[in-house]
Amino acid sequence: MTPGPAGHAPTGHHAPLGAQATSDLLYLGFQARFLEAGLRDLAGSEGLHPGLADFRIDTRSIVLARAMRCATDGTGDLCHAGPLAPGPALAFGATPLEFLRHVAGKGTSPASAREGGLDWTDVRRGMIGSGAARGGTATQVLAGAALAFGNRGEDRAAMVFEGRVALQSGGWHEGMNLAGAVRAPLIVVVAARRTAGGSVHADLEAVALSYGVAFAQVGAEPPEHLFRTVAAARRRAVHGEGPTLIELVHVGNEERWASHDAFAERATAEDGLSEPDLDAIRRAAAAGVEHAVDRLAKEPGPTARDALAPVCTDGPPPPPWTRRDPPAPDTPASYDPAEQPHAE
Amino acid sequence: MPSETPSHVARTRSGEPATLLEAISEALWEEMERDERVFLLGEDIGAYGGAFKVTRGFLERFGPSRVIDTPISEGGFTGAAAGAAHMGLRPVVEMQFMDFISPAYDVLTNYIATSLYRGAGPMPLVVRGPVGGGNRGGPFHSQNVEMAFFHTPGLKIVYPSNPRDAKGLLKSAIRDDNPVIFEEHKGLYRAPHCREVLPAEDYAIPLGSARTALEGDDLTIVTYGLMVHRSLEAAAELARDGIRAEVIDLRTLLPLDEEAIADSLKRTGKLLIVHEDTRTGGIAGEIAIRMNEQAFEWLDGPILRVTAIDSPVPFSGELEDYFLPGVRDVVIAARYLVEY
Repeated sequence: MTPGPAGHAPTGHHAPLGAQATSDLLYLGFQARFLEAGLRDLAGSEGLHPGLADFRIDTRSIVLARAMRCATDGTGDLCHAGPLAPGPALAFGATPLEFLRHVAGKGTSPASAREGGLDWTDVRRGMIGSGAARGGTATQVLAGAALAFGNRGEDRAAMVFEGRVALQSGGWHEGMNLAGAVRAPLIVVVAARRTAGGSVHADLEAVALSYGVAFAQVGAEPPEHLFRTVAAARRRAVHGEGPTLIELVHVGNEERWASHDAFAERATAEDGLSEPDLDAIRRAAAAGVEHAVDRLAKEPGPTARDALAPVCTDGPPPPPWTRRDPPAPDTPASYDPAEQPHAE
Repeated sequence: MPSETPSHVARTRSGEPATLLEAISEALWEEMERDERVFLLGEDIGAYGGAFKVTRGFLERFGPSRVIDTPISEGGFTGAAAGAAHMGLRPVVEMQFMDFISPAYDVLTNYIATSLYRGAGPMPLVVRGPVGGGNRGGPFHSQNVEMAFFHTPGLKIVYPSNPRDAKGLLKSAIRDDNPVIFEEHKGLYRAPHCREVLPAEDYAIPLGSARTALEGDDLTIVTYGLMVHRSLEAAAELARDGIRAEVIDLRTLLPLDEEAIADSLKRTGKLLIVHEDTRTGGIAGEIAIRMNEQAFEWLDGPILRVTAIDSPVPFSGELEDYFLPGVRDVVIAARYLVEY
């Protein structure tokens, strides 16, 4: 329970990641860009919300998540990325079609459109969605998950990636305080944003010190620096050295990074990838997304029955029998929402 | 490192009667021994043993990783419990007083209650703690919180009235894969008239099942918690006038055992609902409309309710006695109904 001494966590160095890891990150990054383009094309058609045209995937969240230990059977790390940063879904193995189904709220989505858009929780895959992350809830929840990892002595850690605005909520501080107190294997990455919410000028190093957690500061470029900083924090976490607060500073060239140019340049200059290699990665990512976009248009939306999914594990909620005509106190098991007068 | 079993969690083993508080302690202790996934979080529950000493001796027996003293941050540690539940543990959160649950309202209603429906999986956690007035605790240590959560799909709410039910219901709550809010009336914690010898075997009482505390055929009194005892006192007084009241102890408020209420109402034709919580938006309103929907043809009079008045819980004893529903209030309402 006694917090250990806070201090600077080791950050990553600038050594290249190697061709395989770089190819992997480039593939996911290209995939994100093509998914955004696909959503721009689809938005407003096929019953999809027009707002999807503005959907963005913060590529930094892909790098962060990829630095964690991914698994799809509930044995890997756990990751939460705040609004505008659903990259972990891609990094943790979601296919483009799964991703689009979920974002678009299709009936075939993992939660049958009961959760969608920016919010995707899949505990087995290691993702905690952002929807209820009001007031730092995600930091609290991930602190508890990390606490479970630590108590069981597992090789697992949890990571939260949020904008600096999170520091304005008391909940974020409660989560940090608890994580520091119990030495939970938690990594909290806070990114500067050029929005009103990002105008808080808290000294994050002082914040980390106050909670007895380690601190690191890193820019989004070069990407391998970010990757290695998170990986180092993860190593500390699973070795019982407690949480790390990482400040992801604004370096002024997010657009370049977002468009992948900077990373692609480094990949060819330092990781030995050739231009044909890059083209092959780009084409592979594009092909997967194109296939998914084509399929999405044919996917059905949710039905009214999907709303009657269990709220408790005991079974589906009782149908609203008073909507029936005549009212029937004993609801038949064959209740069909599609037969209701209000159903379309 | 094994430690001596504290006496308050060994009443049943010793064949002695247990208070409601001891029954709660026994349930926690036995569940923690049975299932290593069960662990406790809360303020001062470890070294201090809890504000009411429910968890005295637990830290020594189960260690600091399963009896976690938290910072004073109800939202924070309830959220953390949710994260641990995601990862397969079964946390039991203690609110030092249930009045303090309000900072956790966000995470309970927005995050925890919606988990399964959103596809995020089961959420096996219990939030328990003391509720209720009569102890001169004033507005911040005397509230009943059930109706702040009753409207939220995905939660269960339990409110026992006696040691046997408290132990059996808490075990069920801990074993349940849904989030459960478990209210314990302080006025019953150490009440001498509430002591009883509990079954020696490992028993659990299913959630969502009411019990008939007293059989009768002149009217039905539906109630829970401390008000079960007030209603039974009232029934004894009514019996002296030849009025036979049936008293239904709900035990679980959500899910509500409306079948038990309707069955009784269909035999008596009269329904009186008694709760210590305040009147407006109290559970009496929900029960009344459900019986209106399902048993209107059997009603031989208006559905009445006896509740606390719509005010914060006052500090002064005189004021609190006026605020809380009492035996006399129940008797007056019951007589009115029977004569209707």
